[in-house]
Amino acid sequence: MTLHCINKGMFKQRASINRLLLCIVLLLNAQALEATEVIVSANVIGQLKDIHELRAIFSLRSLYWSNGERIRVFVLPDDNLVHKEFVKEKLDMFPHQLRRTWNRMTYTGTGQPPVTVDSIADMLEKIKQTDNAIGYIDRRIEDESIHYFDAQ
Amino acid sequence: MNRFIILMLSNIIYMACLFSFSVCAQESALESMVEAPIQEENRLWKSVKQTWKDDIQFHGFLSQGLFSTSGNNVYGKSKDSVSAGLTEIGLNISYQALNNLSFAAQGLYRRAGANTGDAGEATLDFGFVDLNILNLQDGRIGIRGGRIKNPWGLYNETRDVAFTHPTIFLPLAYFERSRSLYLALDGGQLYTDYNTAMGDFSFKFNYGWMNADDKELLTAIINDPTASGHLESDPSFVTQLSYEILGGKYVFALSYADLKMRYQAESVADPYAQMQAHVDTFMFSAQYNGEKFSFASEYSLQWNRFTDIRFGVPDNFPVSEHWYVQTGYRFLDNVQATLRYDSTIQNIHDRYGKGVEAITGGMVPAHLMYAQDIVFGLRWDITPAWMVRAEYHRVHGASTISLQDNRDLTQIAKNWNIYALQVAFRF
Repeated sequence: MTLHCINKGMFKQRASINRLLLCIVLLLNAQALEATEVIVSANVIGQLKDIHELRAIFSLRSLYWSNGERIRVFVLPDDNLVHKEFVKEKLDMFPHQLRRTWNRMTYTGTGQPPVTVDSIADMLEKIKQTDNAIGYIDRRIEDESIHYFDAQ
Repeated sequence: MNRFIILMLSNIIYMACLFSFSVCAQESALESMVEAPIQEENRLWKSVKQTWKDDIQFHGFLSQGLFSTSGNNVYGKSKDSVSAGLTEIGLNISYQALNNLSFAAQGLYRRAGANTGDAGEATLDFGFVDLNILNLQDGRIGIRGGRIKNPWGLYNETRDVAFTHPTIFLPLAYFERSRSLYLALDGGQLYTDYNTAMGDFSFKFNYGWMNADDKELLTAIINDPTASGHLESDPSFVTQLSYEILGGKYVFALSYADLKMRYQAESVADPYAQMQAHVDTFMFSAQYNGEKFSFASEYSLQWNRFTDIRFGVPDNFPVSEHWYVQTGYRFLDNVQATLRYDSTIQNIHDRYGKGVEAITGGMVPAHLMYAQDIVFGLRWDITPAWMVRAEYHRVHGASTISLQDNRDLTQIAKNWNIYALQVAFRF
């Protein structure tokens, strides 16, 4: 009887662990479906080639588009989850690495750091309104006025 | 200890007030802008504001430190007491005038113990024009003219910006006495960047006049705090080649400096009138910035030639050595612990200072010629703009202390402790 009770208890526990695992898997999938997306201004569609170039742009080592215009970079705050995810997924870096580079430029006068916006809505607004701009959002939205960069 | 906590709290409140004022000011400025009556004007203002926002940027930083020590003073009277003697405030403006032409300047206010006095000092930290001469797909070449920060090791260029280094006290290689000398030079810089699939290279070459006019530096060379003249720089250079892999995950740098100075006498009879100083030095730096772990180490050798010091005093050629190893661990994205072992030796031919002590008849204690320091620090980045950190140092030797904060050489302690706390803000 005692044994039976223990088994029953274990079974219950196992079931709850399974449910938890299912939740985690679903959440992971949901995250994969809603991966961050790089967006650009209408006038610079198709000018980006690969991930190395993307990293160079956000590290401020690549300052000009191939049309000769200066790249305007927009980012979310360092502690924003979408920013953290974007930096890890799309740049294969960590936010503190980018901050180190930006700080050195900002406080030696050798470069201007990206403009920080407060929300995804602000980001969309900025990229739509500004020429030669690049930024990112949390997931793909079907909207003709938003231009995505797809890594090749 | 109670006094320490009360002082720290009052400082935090003071700074919070200071910044809430500036935020209020911005808000009221916005309100009055919205109330502008004519829409046409509004549109014009918007377009001006857009250019303003895009091409002109303002940034700044502020930090306040609190120190309590045993044995020796740091940044004011900290020995068996509490000193709030380190304040750093910087404000900069940068203007991208054309695609390849920009201007930048930064003002710095600094209060650092007896060296700057209670009122502190305000200086032009940098101010230059930057012309990008050549832009290629994988790199660029440009020149800067004016007052430019010196690329020396991992931390020198931003040494006064608390956010840019992991501990309150920089490694001993960046010690206070040579701060003003290394900080920036008036002249020109040639810079070039080259990006490859293997990593990114940067090269900087600064040529011009250093800021050698520092009493503490002069006293260290001639061992006479009563000299009336000052040090002046002759044309010198500082250069650095750095190599970064995976967006700065691994950083390697080699810095080299060749600095020339001479004594500028105030009177004809000044015994030091002919004194000259020549410093040749290099620093090798390596850094790893992982997600959780970080690691940094630097090694520097410095060949000094102090000649014609004064009649009867032999020329002096000490070789200084500085090195440290530092490791950090991020418990959370915004909480980091740092542990460092640090060593500096004023003259590798007299590592323990016994020679100097003998020559000066015990006037200069041997432990003024070296220092070893074990540091443990904790840093918490509360928000991207605010940070607090605390650290403990166990120090053996005293070569890096300020002789203006520790005037009585006979009282200088050999083994001592530092407890430090700092709050910092940036935008």
